[in-house]
Amino acid sequence: MPKIRNCSRCLLPETQETITYDKEGVCNVCKQAEYKKEKIDWVAREKELRNLIEGYRGKYDYDCIIPYSGGKDSTYTLYKLVADYKVKPLVVSFDHGFFRPNVMENTKRTMKKLGVDYHLFTPNWKVVKKLMLEALKRKGDFCWHCHTGVFAYPMHVAIKFNVPLVFWGEPSAEYTSYYNYEEVEEVDEKRFNRFVNLGITAEDMVGMVEGVTMRELKPFSYPPLKDLRAIRYRSVCLGSYIPWDPKKNSEIIRRELGWKGDIVEGIPPEYDYEKVECMFQGVRDYLKYIKRGFGRTAHLMSLDLRNKRIATEKARELIAKYDGKRPASLDVFLEYLGISEEEFMEIALSHVVAPHRHDASKVKRGEPLPDMGRWDRTK
Amino acid sequence: MLKVRLIPSLLLREGRCVKGVRFGSFRDTGNPVTAAKIYDAQGADELLFLDITASTQKRSILFNIVARTAEECFMPLCVGGGIRTTEDIRKLLLVGADKVSINTAALEKPAFINEAAEIFGNQCIVVSIDARKRSDGAYEVFSHCGTKATGKNPVEWAEEAVAQGAGEILITSINMEGTRKGYDLELVRAVAGAVEVPVIASGGVGTLQDLVDGIRKGHASAVSAASIFHFTDQSVIKARTFMREAGLDVRSVETR
Amino acid sequence: MIGIIDYGMGNLRSVAKAFELLGAEVLISGNSEELVVAEKLVLPGVGAFGDGMENLRKRGLVDFLDKEVNRNGKMILGICLGMQLLAERGFERGENRGLGWIGGEVRKFSVDGQGLKVPHVGWNEVRFGRDDPLFRGIRNGSCFYFVHSYHMACRDRADVLATCNYGHDFTAAVRKKNIMGTQFHPEKSQDAGLRILENYLNMGVP
Repeated sequence: MPKIRNCSRCLLPETQETITYDKEGVCNVCKQAEYKKEKIDWVAREKELRNLIEGYRGKYDYDCIIPYSGGKDSTYTLYKLVADYKVKPLVVSFDHGFFRPNVMENTKRTMKKLGVDYHLFTPNWKVVKKLMLEALKRKGDFCWHCHTGVFAYPMHVAIKFNVPLVFWGEPSAEYTSYYNYEEVEEVDEKRFNRFVNLGITAEDMVGMVEGVTMRELKPFSYPPLKDLRAIRYRSVCLGSYIPWDPKKNSEIIRRELGWKGDIVEGIPPEYDYEKVECMFQGVRDYLKYIKRGFGRTAHLMSLDLRNKRIATEKARELIAKYDGKRPASLDVFLEYLGISEEEFMEIALSHVVAPHRHDASKVKRGEPLPDMGRWDRTK
Repeated sequence: MLKVRLIPSLLLREGRCVKGVRFGSFRDTGNPVTAAKIYDAQGADELLFLDITASTQKRSILFNIVARTAEECFMPLCVGGGIRTTEDIRKLLLVGADKVSINTAALEKPAFINEAAEIFGNQCIVVSIDARKRSDGAYEVFSHCGTKATGKNPVEWAEEAVAQGAGEILITSINMEGTRKGYDLELVRAVAGAVEVPVIASGGVGTLQDLVDGIRKGHASAVSAASIFHFTDQSVIKARTFMREAGLDVRSVETR
Repeated sequence: MIGIIDYGMGNLRSVAKAFELLGAEVLISGNSEELVVAEKLVLPGVGAFGDGMENLRKRGLVDFLDKEVNRNGKMILGICLGMQLLAERGFERGENRGLGWIGGEVRKFSVDGQGLKVPHVGWNEVRFGRDDPLFRGIRNGSCFYFVHSYHMACRDRADVLATCNYGHDFTAAVRKKNIMGTQFHPEKSQDAGLRILENYLNMGVP
């Protein structure tokens, strides 16, 4: 097995996107976290946030749009803006097709408790399936429709409903180095093209997939800049203005909204606040493990190590125990797309990132999730 | 100091991006204007558009694409494919191209290079050379999209092109193109060592290490790639990060 | 209103589109009667020094610009060849007179023996010696896109706003009151370049 370099602090391997290491072997994401803690004037940022909100308050049918998935980050964003800043939001959810029963219950409860207008959009499932398979083949990532829909669809809503201010949750600088903490991250088309859409636009998909036109792909395409400029849009992350702490945030929403976590494939059970909203989280992580040699547990450990919440040895132990599972949900996934596990593996292996090499002997079989029996199996 | 350049290349056919292997079996790889926007957002140093549309009557599509790209991407654009007259060049520069790449037209009449360089400046004129390695190990230049043997040696032809006024040379290995097995480093190095103008390596990139090798071992000033960005999970950002980590002097990845 | 001077030398669309994206009203013209309404001027250009001056003269723009810039104090931004034409003299294909508004001459890069290729093509770091509104918000040492074989050697150091290095330090940007120029192409330098154009747009605006 080739020797893979890891960050001396958070253990993230060199196969992670955008990672670089300094002379002491500390990665750039850790460096960013240092900056976040030490160099940002959070008082000034919070003041900026208040000014920003006041600039839009009461001027439109809604003070802002809050894109929402039901996970801990968007739930916290919604809660914080409504409870502490008293905004009247339009909550917008893009349904990727794989919401788990628990998260749907969380959402219903949250909307009722907070008293807000909720807009849910579910794209054409037949189109989604085609997009999933094409993205899987081209990039080894079947979530293209979700990445693009989640970030583009709310912008269409902003234009249609004339609500220019859009608040996202955590900035990407929390986990990657496409952006850093020095500036407020603008969640715009440039960012969309930089890394959200995996380098594929809806206009690309039109020529690559059979039987779809731009009409079918509109929800996945970023609206024209001139339309956004016409409404004087501003699309930012709440996490650029207040320091983000996922563990603390989840405690708050549990307490205030009765938000419930869930068991997720391939991570230690105590992290039940992580990525609870998607049925195929396990398949996604499995692909990452095949391609890059690490999974969600390694990602979670990197966060805890960075925040000094866990000892390195314990982190390594958990990574060895929980990463690298062949998830039970893969069976449902293969059923939906009508491909065999051999075909799936062939595609996955074609996307392995050097110098990592996939070792199938290290893969263990994962247990089915308790709610798997309640998932809709319509193909 | 002058940075090493990473130049994604986009093959165009009838208004769509396509990609093939060894100049054949093409697949649709997307919309050229949005692809350009992605490369721009990721901070590519330059873009290379090569039009392989068979019919020259469809030229207006190319002009349209270049114009729309220039409207939204404020980065250097080099456009090539079927350029035969100075009028073709003038039209392309007018709609937004910064440089043009000429291939077959230059082979048929080397003085054309000089004519174009005189009018537009030699920094606008890139001569593109497609070369095939023969079974005896020698290299031969091919024209007409890699279909016609010319009997010329790529190094000699590159020298002649530069003498005529070419501002840059784009060297493509027909054997390696689309295979994702790496550049033909011997070919790149031979050409880069022979001329005083910048040389852009093209054809065969499969891993990020290939890009580094193109500079370090091939001695190119710039590296071009296509398949790796269309058919793998790699991106321009990841490529630049990798090249940087390898010690190459590339532009930094930060947004400012 | 930004007036982009069309004297038949190279691509004006990119410069125009960049300013439009930044919200400016743009006029492209080679006609002095039309250009007179512009609040600020831009002199772009790609090509040879001699041809550039010849084309300006043919369109009667030399006197017009001299009046607008030197007597009326209008701001002007020269880009690439446009910046070089601000000099007294250029040596591309024989000696030619320039506009002569900034002391200096335009010479070919002589980087023989250093293994450097000419033309200077690609992205290179620009360092500014002093704070100037033209470079506001731009990190010192940011990269911009260059494509040229000739560079401007200024007589007076005070006119040199920024430098770049290619074998030796050379002038990357000039400024003498209302007369500015960049050797690099801001309209081809992505975010950093757009910032320069935005700064130019906002100059002198209260």
